Amino acid sequence: MSAHLRVAPDTTRVRLLDGAAVLPAHGTESLTGVARQDLAAHVAEHGSSVHSGAALIAELAAVSLTGRGGGHFPTATKWRAVPPGGTVVVNGAEGEPGCAKDAVLLQTRPHLVLDGLVAAIEAVGARDGVVWLHDGAHATARSVSAALAERAAAGLGDPPIRIVLAPDRYLSGEGTAIIRTLEGGPTLPRWVADPARPWSEGARPVLVNNTETLARAALVALHGSEAYEPTSLVTVVSMNHRAVLEIEPGTTLGGLVAQAWQSPDGHAPQAVLLGGYGGSWIAWRDAAHLVLDPEPLRAHGLSLGAGLVAPLPASACGIEESARLLRYLASQSAKQCGPCVFGLPAIAELAADLTAGRLGRSGRARLDRYVREVSGRGACRHPDGALRMWTSALTALHDDVRRHRRGRTCGAPLYDVLPLPEGAP
Amino acid sequence: MSVVPLRSARDQAPTQPRLRIDPGVCDGVGICAHLAPDLVALDSWGYPVVSSTPLERGGLRRQAEAAVAACPRKALHLAR
Repeated sequence: MSAHLRVAPDTTRVRLLDGAAVLPAHGTESLTGVARQDLAAHVAEHGSSVHSGAALIAELAAVSLTGRGGGHFPTATKWRAVPPGGTVVVNGAEGEPGCAKDAVLLQTRPHLVLDGLVAAIEAVGARDGVVWLHDGAHATARSVSAALAERAAAGLGDPPIRIVLAPDRYLSGEGTAIIRTLEGGPTLPRWVADPARPWSEGARPVLVNNTETLARAALVALHGSEAYEPTSLVTVVSMNHRAVLEIEPGTTLGGLVAQAWQSPDGHAPQAVLLGGYGGSWIAWRDAAHLVLDPEPLRAHGLSLGAGLVAPLPASACGIEESARLLRYLASQSAKQCGPCVFGLPAIAELAADLTAGRLGRSGRARLDRYVREVSGRGACRHPDGALRMWTSALTALHDDVRRHRRGRTCGAPLYDVLPLPEGAP
Repeated sequence: MSVVPLRSARDQAPTQPRLRIDPGVCDGVGICAHLAPDLVALDSWGYPVVSSTPLERGGLRRQAEAAVAACPRKALHLAR
């Protein structure tokens, strides 16, 4: 290529990461592949002029930024609904056992996340900020503490920001559980009559945003909406490691899996669990050409959720794996709502019976009835997610189901494929 | 014609209240299913499944009000 045609580093489009981060199958303590940006490196790449206020909210609406914790609710709508004088929370308590994108951001791009938090605090007129982390997320907490110290030493003049540690449970990252804790209550989800006002009557308003969401808001605040590219962070789960990547618009699920997944048996996967353990199974024949952008996903009734991409090896059993995830999700109930406390374990038990080839016609009818009864009835969406995953397994993996219905198991050699926390049931 | 206050798109439709339940507070006592049999059914574990029908004034609304008043856990609400 001749000199005058050489393309300068693309400064018009900004990215969150400059490569793939690799983590072990469990935990977020030993991350490799992406170096941490300290304050100097961060300012060198992104500058330090953060714009905020109503103009930023309008830009977030213009780039259609949605919540990356899983709900994908429009961020600008959420910010506009919050009265001033409250607290903004960056939610780094990634409950999904497979997901690690938020940990990767907080460990390698802490200043981007904190810039997003500061911009949000200014935009909604809040008083202070909270970084909400799991108690056991030591490497993440160290990175955030160091970043806060660097910013204080540099005299950035941030509003007050403190780290709050939450119990290491699946539901500690649920939005209402965070708000309830900050109001002095237990770290458990609660039912709210108006989802646009999830704080208690008379309490200070609290705006909870996912880590990736705020990092993306920071990109817009630092570079403007023209430079913003609607990429997505995903966690691709292999049996021995996980990879966190930033994918471009137009990426197919098949292409992503081919690029980032390590097959344990040399074959393509038979299906992919997308979004989270409360997401949806997609048969491989449907996954290969599925474009991971919001519109095509929505058209198929799917969502990128919290960014989990968990392929199921050809030599594993999807029903056995789904029943195992269901048992885990049932164990992670906050134990508050009848349908979740009694319904989910009953469903998980019947699912285990199905896996073991012990479920007859009446048992299958009971399983279907329980699923219908429990759907849509919790204070939070925990049971709905668990049942979405299970129901999608019955459709996407119906060959597996048929093998189990003949009164025996399928005999797949690989088991316990998807990661669960240590000590999970 | 009355003037309807401007609301967000999400909750434009319902102007009539509905019977709503806070499932985290409900203990499955079940009085509601007796007082509002046309609005509340009990699931396999004895917990109420509440109809989301908008409630015009009249019989159904009276059933709902009776259930709200009688719930010992104050788990039921009439809300839009």
